Amino acid sequence: MVATSRASLRVDRLRALNVPVKVTVRTDEQGLPTVVAEDGAVGEDDGRAIEEILEIWRVDDEWWRQPIARRYVDVVLVGGGHVILFEDLITHEWFMQRP
Amino acid sequence: MVPRTNLSLNHDIVSELAACVWIPLFALRAEELRRPELSNRPAALLAPDDARRLWHVSPVARRYGVKAGITVSQAIGLCPSLTLCEPDPVYYDEQFARLLLALSNVSPVVEPVELGKVYVGVDGFDRLYGNAEQQLKAIRDAIAGRRLGPPNRRRWQRRFVNTRTRGKTGPGWASWARLGWARGKFAAWVAAAKAKSGEWTIVSDSTRSTFLATQSVAALPIQSDTHHRLWQLGIKTLADVARLPETAMVAQFGSEGRRAWRLAAGIADDPVVGRPRPEPIVAALDYLTPVADRGMLAHALGILIDRALKHPRRVGWRVHKVQTRAMLEGGASWMIEATLKDPSADREHITAPLRVHLERSPPIGAVEHLSVEFVEFAPGTAELQLFARDAQSSARAKRQHALRNAVREIRTRLKRSALYHVIEVHPWSRLPERRYALIDFEP
Repeated sequence: MVATSRASLRVDRLRALNVPVKVTVRTDEQGLPTVVAEDGAVGEDDGRAIEEILEIWRVDDEWWRQPIARRYVDVVLVGGGHVILFEDLITHEWFMQRP
Repeated sequence: MVPRTNLSLNHDIVSELAACVWIPLFALRAEELRRPELSNRPAALLAPDDARRLWHVSPVARRYGVKAGITVSQAIGLCPSLTLCEPDPVYYDEQFARLLLALSNVSPVVEPVELGKVYVGVDGFDRLYGNAEQQLKAIRDAIAGRRLGPPNRRRWQRRFVNTRTRGKTGPGWASWARLGWARGKFAAWVAAAKAKSGEWTIVSDSTRSTFLATQSVAALPIQSDTHHRLWQLGIKTLADVARLPETAMVAQFGSEGRRAWRLAAGIADDPVVGRPRPEPIVAALDYLTPVADRGMLAHALGILIDRALKHPRRVGWRVHKVQTRAMLEGGASWMIEATLKDPSADREHITAPLRVHLERSPPIGAVEHLSVEFVEFAPGTAELQLFARDAQSSARAKRQHALRNAVREIRTRLKRSALYHVIEVHPWSRLPERRYALIDFEP
């Protein structure tokens, strides 16, 4: 789950940049992503295959209020796109962000 | 009756009696005038040189613990509803120039110090306005744009007040201005700092020593290290400083110590120093073959304005009124004149109204001789020099102008502004979405 800002977004207030976008991810037996698609896409042909996994890391933070636990995977998509995927380890949902 | 002023050796005009006009948070107040909705919200201005830090913080935001100098991320943590504004130094300069213009209508001795802080020489004002309170009232009225000069003093008004050059500042500034009246700039400044918004403090000669004696050493214009050392030595008031031998202060703090001691003892000579307005500046050219083409004349106007702006006498001043004259083939003449609402040192700003005049009422014949004359000027400060006088600031003003036009166009097409500025919020955050944010861009 993505921790929301305490402030409601409004004109004149800050708007976060690079907000994570929810995606659907197919994973292999090790739990690593192999295909990423728009949220809700379920077909075999949907999505883009992942060509290479560059890096994996984990972030655990803010345990004192709304805990954040994420597993980040830095990937290169087939065709050359470079994105960062992360799995929210509390809700087990996947999100995509720009590097 | 005219104000009694002294001429120093370098022909600056000076006044021993001083009124200090201080408008704290000048830049933020200028934003509030432009966007009244900010006045009731927690708001802050980003620093012009470091967009990650806050520059001015509104009193409402201060209640949340937000302070000037802290980072944006710290400020948002303290006050999530904080409204952040892009700084617009050119606009603040323009507002300050208007304030100076309004004050120069009251006194010929005006000494700007920084944005929002000005000294006004008031020597001889007793005969024009009455006592100190009435003098300050006249200054406050000028700030509010209500009054031009002493009542029933038409001669004075004719001489010192050009009704066409009134500085319109608006009542907002008057309600924020703190005024101080005393002999010497330092005492006037301390008096202004003691006054509440929209009010004044008068320090007469008889009470000056007592008044200064009770003030904290924090009032002294010295480096923060020196302040700190004075506190460590247990010297907390100006009376404590004045009690020390002058030589002891000089031995400890050098020339800064001497100045501090003299200010604390009330014997420093720090009169208000105004500058005489420069004589008109003229740039001219002769055409070998008379020219009637408007495009060529407009181009020549730009070149002449550029040349006049580079004149050394113009340094430190903004152009308020400009005239263009032409001698026409056959002996006729032509003249146009423009008074700038906001005095400027920017070529485009000065040229634009002349071009409009040129289009509307062009010369009736071919031009043999063309001249541009800067007739009236408004004073600038050190900050104005930074923001509006050099090439960089001129480029910045041009960019700002282009952006303003682009925003206007976008608004017309989309019915809303869709421009934002990227600021660093928490650049080292492990969560990418917390590193940068957008704020509305209002050039």
